[in-house]
Amino acid sequence: MSATTTAEGAPGTEHHEESAKAREAFRAVTRDVAWVAEAPKPHKAWLGALGIALIMLGIGVVSIYHLVTTGIGVWGNSNTVGWAWDITNFVWWIGIGHAGTLISAVLFLTRQTWRVSINRAAEAMTIFAVMCALLFPLLHTGRPWFAWWMLPHPNDMGMWPQFRSPLMWDVFAVSTYGLTSILFWYMGLVPDLATFRDRFAAKGDKVRAIIYGLFALGWRGSARNWHRYERAYLILAGLATPLVFSVHSVVSFDFATSQLPGWHTTIFPPYFVAGAIFSGFAMVLTLMLPLRHLFNLQHLIKESHIEAMCKILLATGMMVGLAYGTELFIAWYSGNLYEKFAFANRALGPFWWSYWAMVSCNVLIPQFFWSKKIRTSPVIIFVLCIFVNIGMWFERFVIIATSLARSFLPSNWSYFTPTIWDVGLFIGTLGLFFTMFLLFFRYVPVIAIAEVKGAMPEAHAGGNKDKH
Amino acid sequence: MSTLQKSIHPDEKYKAGKLGKKLSGAGLAIALLFLGLSIILTLVSGTANSGHESKWSRFFHAYVIGWSYIFTLSVGMLWLILLHYLVRGRWITAIKRIIEAMATAMPIVFIAGLGFIIPLLAGYKDLYYWAHPDAAHDHHLAFKLGWLSPEFFAIRYVIYGVGFSALAAYFAKKSRQQDETGDPKISETLRIVSAPAMIVYSVLTCMVGFDVLMSIAPKWFSTIYGVSFWGSGCVGAFAALALLVLGIQRTGRLTHSVNAEHYHDIGKWMFAFTFFWAYTAFSQFMLQWYGNMPEETHWYKYRMFGEWQWVSIAILVGYFAFPFVFLLSRWTKRIVPSLVFFAVWQLVFHWLDLYWNVMPSYDWTVTYHDGARLVAGPLQGNPELHHVGFSPVDITVWIGLVGVWLAGVGRGLTGNLIPTKDPTLPLSLAHEVQ
Amino acid sequence: MANAHDDHHDHAHDEPAVYPDGELYGVLAEFDTPGELIDAARKVRDAGYTEFDAYSPFPVHGIDEAMGIKRTILPLIVFGGGLTGLIGGVFLQWWMNAYNWPWNIAGKPAWSIPANVPIAFEATILFSVLTTFFGMWILNKLPQVWHPFFRSDRFAKVTDDAFVLGIEAKDRRFDHAATTKLLKDAGAIAIEDVHLEGDPRRKQMPKWITAFIVASTAFALIPFAIAAKARNSHSSEPHIHIFPDMDFQPKYKSDTAMDLFPDGRSNRGAIGGTVARGSLNADDVFYRGIERSESGGAWTTGFPKQLEINDALVKRGQNRYNIYCSACHGFDGRGSGAVPLRVAAGGGAWQARNLVEPGGASVMMPNGQLFNTISNGFNTMMGYANQIPHADRWAIVLYVRALQRSQNAALEDVPADHRGSLR
Repeated sequence: MSATTTAEGAPGTEHHEESAKAREAFRAVTRDVAWVAEAPKPHKAWLGALGIALIMLGIGVVSIYHLVTTGIGVWGNSNTVGWAWDITNFVWWIGIGHAGTLISAVLFLTRQTWRVSINRAAEAMTIFAVMCALLFPLLHTGRPWFAWWMLPHPNDMGMWPQFRSPLMWDVFAVSTYGLTSILFWYMGLVPDLATFRDRFAAKGDKVRAIIYGLFALGWRGSARNWHRYERAYLILAGLATPLVFSVHSVVSFDFATSQLPGWHTTIFPPYFVAGAIFSGFAMVLTLMLPLRHLFNLQHLIKESHIEAMCKILLATGMMVGLAYGTELFIAWYSGNLYEKFAFANRALGPFWWSYWAMVSCNVLIPQFFWSKKIRTSPVIIFVLCIFVNIGMWFERFVIIATSLARSFLPSNWSYFTPTIWDVGLFIGTLGLFFTMFLLFFRYVPVIAIAEVKGAMPEAHAGGNKDKH
Repeated sequence: MSTLQKSIHPDEKYKAGKLGKKLSGAGLAIALLFLGLSIILTLVSGTANSGHESKWSRFFHAYVIGWSYIFTLSVGMLWLILLHYLVRGRWITAIKRIIEAMATAMPIVFIAGLGFIIPLLAGYKDLYYWAHPDAAHDHHLAFKLGWLSPEFFAIRYVIYGVGFSALAAYFAKKSRQQDETGDPKISETLRIVSAPAMIVYSVLTCMVGFDVLMSIAPKWFSTIYGVSFWGSGCVGAFAALALLVLGIQRTGRLTHSVNAEHYHDIGKWMFAFTFFWAYTAFSQFMLQWYGNMPEETHWYKYRMFGEWQWVSIAILVGYFAFPFVFLLSRWTKRIVPSLVFFAVWQLVFHWLDLYWNVMPSYDWTVTYHDGARLVAGPLQGNPELHHVGFSPVDITVWIGLVGVWLAGVGRGLTGNLIPTKDPTLPLSLAHEVQ
Repeated sequence: MANAHDDHHDHAHDEPAVYPDGELYGVLAEFDTPGELIDAARKVRDAGYTEFDAYSPFPVHGIDEAMGIKRTILPLIVFGGGLTGLIGGVFLQWWMNAYNWPWNIAGKPAWSIPANVPIAFEATILFSVLTTFFGMWILNKLPQVWHPFFRSDRFAKVTDDAFVLGIEAKDRRFDHAATTKLLKDAGAIAIEDVHLEGDPRRKQMPKWITAFIVASTAFALIPFAIAAKARNSHSSEPHIHIFPDMDFQPKYKSDTAMDLFPDGRSNRGAIGGTVARGSLNADDVFYRGIERSESGGAWTTGFPKQLEINDALVKRGQNRYNIYCSACHGFDGRGSGAVPLRVAAGGGAWQARNLVEPGGASVMMPNGQLFNTISNGFNTMMGYANQIPHADRWAIVLYVRALQRSQNAALEDVPADHRGSLR
């Protein structure tokens, strides 16, 4: 560039070391985040993980092909347990997404600054989890190419969606949630994409500079822009908070509006939300612990951040436990024979193993997090989080399968066994999720650079501070 | 996200002096005056009505409402203390003493509650229908009369009382200790204790909701009830906190330490709980309405039809829609007169919400077409014939119990009104809302 | 004011500068810390500048106040967006489910407010989010992928670690020397002029970008073109068959051609004289109330022989009568049932037939005709053949006869030993 320099280092004598250190600290953040994308060759472990993820994704593609060309009869739910694995997986994935929004919005509103190191990755996780979740109801319709019929649009048949159906609420809630998550994530990304743009431009990598530059929308870091940007961020956080509550509440309405014993209970909305956050944080940790190690991000994603997440796991695990207890108590207190049976059947009926898997993984396993020693050992946390993920999957399975397999009419009583295609599609969504996440980790700023810098003590350095 | 720090302003007046005693005195006077008035009003009132044998029934129903009201004010603030330590909060430190004073009114609250527990134990049967001899013949109730028996109820009441009082007292005492020793480890201890304390707190709070309020209509049940009760309570608690802090500032104390930033955050919490309460209340209503099962909808039947529907609409608009829309703006939370208006408004509607939870169950009669009436317990018969039947006692008992609560709060307003040696104080003093 | 000809080649470059720099766009000053940036911004603002901005890698706390940035109106816009979403969401549901096509679902009213809350809420959030996101970019005048300051290498560090203040030359108070001095006094560690591009070729947008925009616009129009064509043309070509085995199943549908049978139809009709099992109903008295004889048929006056006339049958008849008939004819048969009463209450005049009127049509009818009336209806009365089995219809006939008898009873009809109890 051919700008003219008229003055260079004007007050040079006053160059105190402190500010040099502060600037070095800012640069270090940029460098530590950017090197993941800038490394000319991807990490071997990353490549290996991507390979495995792609194989899983392949299994999913095959399962979807077989399912769509044959019909949903290939699943094991061609009996009264008609919502078996697919809706379990749907709820599980949606729940996992919730941690991302919680970290980016709720913790932002409550000024938990430790969130800045993980919010970007957690939000990405939200988006990918919502994508995986949407696959299940979409495929369960049997004719996914008619999915657009669910959206209100003028048509030859003069038909409108049926808005009194909770499943319709799902369509609106989940699509709003997905869109909001993407916009929120992207908005947070823009300043960091600008950082990437400028770094690649400085390196002379024109192609990447243009690509990042287009997505950075010409961000200049102007104070006038930051002002509106921060307002917008706050507003989006304020909107995303009730939204995240509403989404899993609406998912819980799918069950709770019915009269089926074990489904119809008013605690479902907050209980589902707590469970969603619980499983989401477990997934954040499952993903971040290995990647943090792999890409040397320990000084950005600090031990104290991991510990805080473990505490959230403990807290939400207890909330879920409280909800289990409340349900049991009211099942007795209500005097409703069907409710009583439903809960006895969960614990002692044919699906007893799933119930006890759920209780032990969701209520007992998190108790380990009382110990600080465990909260600071990544390997143990990783293992415990996998248990929590399993437990939360079982929670949805218990709710769906045990209630449907023992509804009011004994003639409806049945047992659910998954087929290989149920399993294949689930593995496929895991593959999709990990593939997306690994690609994200390599090509997008994985840590919110600008936010991390803004939360550093150096961000308040210099000048006459008490002027205002 | 500011990490700015400030120290206490040199001109700051933060000694409580006689403030607490004055407040207690005023509270006690209000309590004596209004509870006395309520007793006189009841004595001179006509005969028993609405299927009750004793004319004290209205008084006791109002008493349960008033008690729940002052209980929620304290329990909401106890939650704020626990949360403060649990998440290493800092903005509330400057007003922590006031919050502690509200929470430590807990023993007084539970002593006040003996006003309906003792009659219950003595065999008073016109308040909770499950204590009525007829309940034993109702097979919807008979099976749970072991749980809902006056004796067991009273035992649980004692557990709640001891539990909440001990939690509040422990946190306040330790925090006071820090004023003397300046030991930062005390904050650390409280942080560790706050986690199990939160669990005990959650269970007890839900159970109080189930026992004291939900069992007024003993056949009805809702798993979210405890959560909803707590959410509504926190609206009232934060509103009361705003008023109390303002009142103390009006006496010339804390004028430098507490500013619009703190009010903004109190307002934000009040707003958040207004929304949270609406969320739980809607979830409860919508699910029972949608499921349309008689064992659940009967509770709403008496609130959606007849006179009570107007109270329901008033709550929907007044407790949620109106404050929600206006509290969205940051200015309504930062400008003191506006915050005062909404705090008073929400305190009134919090009472109305509790009133709406309890009073539809007051009428125990069924009226037949030929005019014959039969005592059948709460929520029976034609909802069109159920009247709000407002009585001045409803208000006087409430105000009297608020007086009792203020007396309890006054007890806690002693010594330093700022935790002078709390390590998070400098952050709280420099607090700024984004 | 600075202009393009101000600075000729008064500085040397290593690379050959074919064209001089363009007009002066503004001055950039770099500061060491965010705090100094704030102080400088305040000074610049106090000096009366308006066309200036501070650039930093993250939002600097306190700079809004220092620069005198007015609070954005974004929240108001979002409130408007949210309100639009709320109203739109409610209206959408009301119009589609309650107005344009009301449809009974689970007995819920067509206009079910509690069930419409979730979608109204989501629509509110959706619109608010969209207005926030797009409103913020529009207010910020972004995307603007190119800016003259990008020509400065120093400026590129803003997204890394640099705190830069830029004053644009278009500011009223801009004066190159004075402005530079102001910035220097404010503590800038480096100051730099930024000029517009001087090379006329580089001022143009690169051709490939123009080409790309034209091509992508053309490409984006293709679906619309196809849709427009499809709406305005007819084709006898079949649909595209994604799943041919679902679209063309190896089966015959009714009323289609089929070569296998001589009549060439796929339908196989019933063989002549076939009667469905259980539908023969040959007994005319029992099934139709008609006595057949050589000379034709007449309504039967008795009861079918397979029925035993006893107390139980009367009771059965009473039971069925009270269920099916009393709504119009009344429990006493006088025609004042709930329906006529309701009609009367509404101001109308409609009376069901009095079944027990002495000498009336119903009393005079033979049993068979009564049976026929129950089966097939009469005037506004519909037939009950589908609801009431034959035997029950006869039971009702029997009960109606009993009603006629009892409602017109004389003293003589009461057994002698019971007459004393009457008054």
